Amino acid sequence: MRTARYVIIVAVILVVTGLRLWRRRRRRRTPKSERPIRLPRREWATGDVALVMGRELRERIRGRFYLVGTVIILIVVGAAIVIPVVRSSKTASETVGVVGTLPAATRTWLVAAAHDDGATARFVTFPTKARATASLRTGHIAFAIVHGGEIVVEDSFSPTDNSTIAQLVRAVATRLGDQRALAAAGLSTQQASILGHAQPLTVYALHHGTTKRIYATSLIGVILIFIMLSQYNTWLLVGVMEEKASRVVEVLLAAVRPVKLLSGKVLGIGLAAMLQASVVVTFALVLSQAIGSNLLRGAGPQEIFVTLGWLVLGYSLYCWLYAAAGSMAERQDQVQSLALPLSLPMIVGYVVSLTAASAATPSLVLRIFAYVPFTAPFAMPVLVGFGVVTWWQFATSVVLTLACTLAVARVATGIYRRAILRTGSRVRLRDVNTS
Amino acid sequence: MARELQVEALTRRYGMLTALDDLSFSANAGEVIGFLGPNGAGKTTTMRVVFGLTSLESGLVRWRGNPVGAPERRRFGYMPEERGLYPGMRIGDQLVYMGRLHGMSRFDAHRATRKWLERLGLVDRMGDKVEALSHGNQQRVQLAAAVMHEPELLFLDEPLAGLDPTGIDDISEILIERARAGCCVIFSSHQLDQVEDLCESVIIIDHGRLVVAGHVDDLATSGARRLVVRVEADRSGDWARDVKGVTVSEVTGGAVRLILDEETDTDDVLQAARRAGRVTEFVMRRRRMSEVFREALQ
Repeated sequence: MRTARYVIIVAVILVVTGLRLWRRRRRRRTPKSERPIRLPRREWATGDVALVMGRELRERIRGRFYLVGTVIILIVVGAAIVIPVVRSSKTASETVGVVGTLPAATRTWLVAAAHDDGATARFVTFPTKARATASLRTGHIAFAIVHGGEIVVEDSFSPTDNSTIAQLVRAVATRLGDQRALAAAGLSTQQASILGHAQPLTVYALHHGTTKRIYATSLIGVILIFIMLSQYNTWLLVGVMEEKASRVVEVLLAAVRPVKLLSGKVLGIGLAAMLQASVVVTFALVLSQAIGSNLLRGAGPQEIFVTLGWLVLGYSLYCWLYAAAGSMAERQDQVQSLALPLSLPMIVGYVVSLTAASAATPSLVLRIFAYVPFTAPFAMPVLVGFGVVTWWQFATSVVLTLACTLAVARVATGIYRRAILRTGSRVRLRDVNTS
Repeated sequence: MARELQVEALTRRYGMLTALDDLSFSANAGEVIGFLGPNGAGKTTTMRVVFGLTSLESGLVRWRGNPVGAPERRRFGYMPEERGLYPGMRIGDQLVYMGRLHGMSRFDAHRATRKWLERLGLVDRMGDKVEALSHGNQQRVQLAAAVMHEPELLFLDEPLAGLDPTGIDDISEILIERARAGCCVIFSSHQLDQVEDLCESVIIIDHGRLVVAGHVDDLATSGARRLVVRVEADRSGDWARDVKGVTVSEVTGGAVRLILDEETDTDDVLQAARRAGRVTEFVMRRRRMSEVFREALQ
């Protein structure tokens, strides 16, 4: 494993260095007059790109959809945090019918067992089994213990029934069965008492586990990534299409180069997405802290940064594809047919990751998807949540996604440049290639 | 006057269709120039070439002797045929944005936005969205977006289309004003009589080629002579059809517009008219722009 790690690192360094050398040599071979003008890096931050980005950010944030969308996401996330806390704070009260006598020790144990299951237990004594059964039918009692040797319930419990009452009945049945066996073994009272108070051994873990909480964080994270990628990439697609349909792009491109216009648009919408994601994450952390939810507690900065980081990487990859698709459409009805094939890898990655996080199992498909650039934004955060990813595996996935993003951006800007000014009907890929 | 814009041998093909076929012309600063041609003549493609919106098989566009590049285009103003604005964006914000994309500072862009909206009577609607405006007002905002950075070259595609007389007057006034300020103003239009009123020069193209270019006065006074004759009680102008060396151009409201051959004597025409009835109008006219256009395309 260690050798593989070093091989990958060296390979990445070689590829990056090779690409830089190749570009430098190609640039030198091109006559000076034909070389593309390179803008100072500062101009990207202060020039046309910043202007376009600022407009996109301002217009998106001002829009009603952004506000309503943010409120809806906050409500959903708030509900996911609050509801489990509210449910767990409700204590069920279970009434146990007793026919005959029940030892005080057993009663104490039963009260404690009910408490462990989040319920309280109280006892009602019946003179006969018939009276207890009648009370059971009317629902006044949850179950009845008859002379310490028989338990009566109204409906049988299935083996998968994990309700409080089912768990309590199973525990009581086991306990009373053990007591009967101890009595039958002819042990002394002291011996029976020692066996009856047997405690399970303490299990010491090398790492303090917060597994369930991390899975919950992964679950929320992957849902957040999917919602935001779908929403913001669709905005991008529709935004580009509307600029083309309204012909405003002609006016813009008369003053701004296509790559700058597209970069500004992508960055502006991306910033709006990150702003919304930051608001949602901050709200979730503050709310869970305030109401004592353990859903996100323990999800340290690592999980949150991984989720936000992969949101950025996922957007960086998909945004170019959606922008290129937008430049090929001219009407709203063409948007659906263009968006569908682009959303398929997102849906597949989302479903696989969601299933794995719900089942608490890092499946083989999930492990493979974590290195496929188009599904990695969903799969890798979940895999990190399982704690089964080393730093170099994580870095490999990031590098692969970035490399794919560069290639996709290059192709997509070419399509955008050729298709954005072609009006009349939907532009097809073969039209772009022949133009 | 300096030839500021020089379009040299532009050729652009879309598959089998030749949109521009070795098209060349030049334009002066300080003039309003009509850019005319039938539908599909290549007017919009030419404008797109000037603004770098389409590539060329061959040819070159020069501004003040130098090939046009991104820095020059930033000093140009462009108004496409329809819309060209963000429908859902506030008018004030939109103009500031357009101004800044053309290199204006934030302060200058805000000042110019207010100035132009005040002039166009839209300052109260600065916070409204473009889609809330009427067609005429959208056209005004679009013009403001094209001129607010005081461009050296202003290219407008059908700026007068669909406007009422007030709108036409407003936009015409601004175009003339910009030309007087030293801007080279070129616009395309199908309303040829308005072109005649507004322009100093015209460029007529067809099938991507230059057909005719020149000063409006020169074009109007060149070519065959025009004579308008009105004969009482004869609204059809039938009397003129048999006169030798005369072609009936049109008959409107009882007045017959005639095109005279070079050797035709106007006395002969007058005598023929008198034979048909009492002559109430008999006057020589210049060639109208619609006639220049039609005859150029024949």
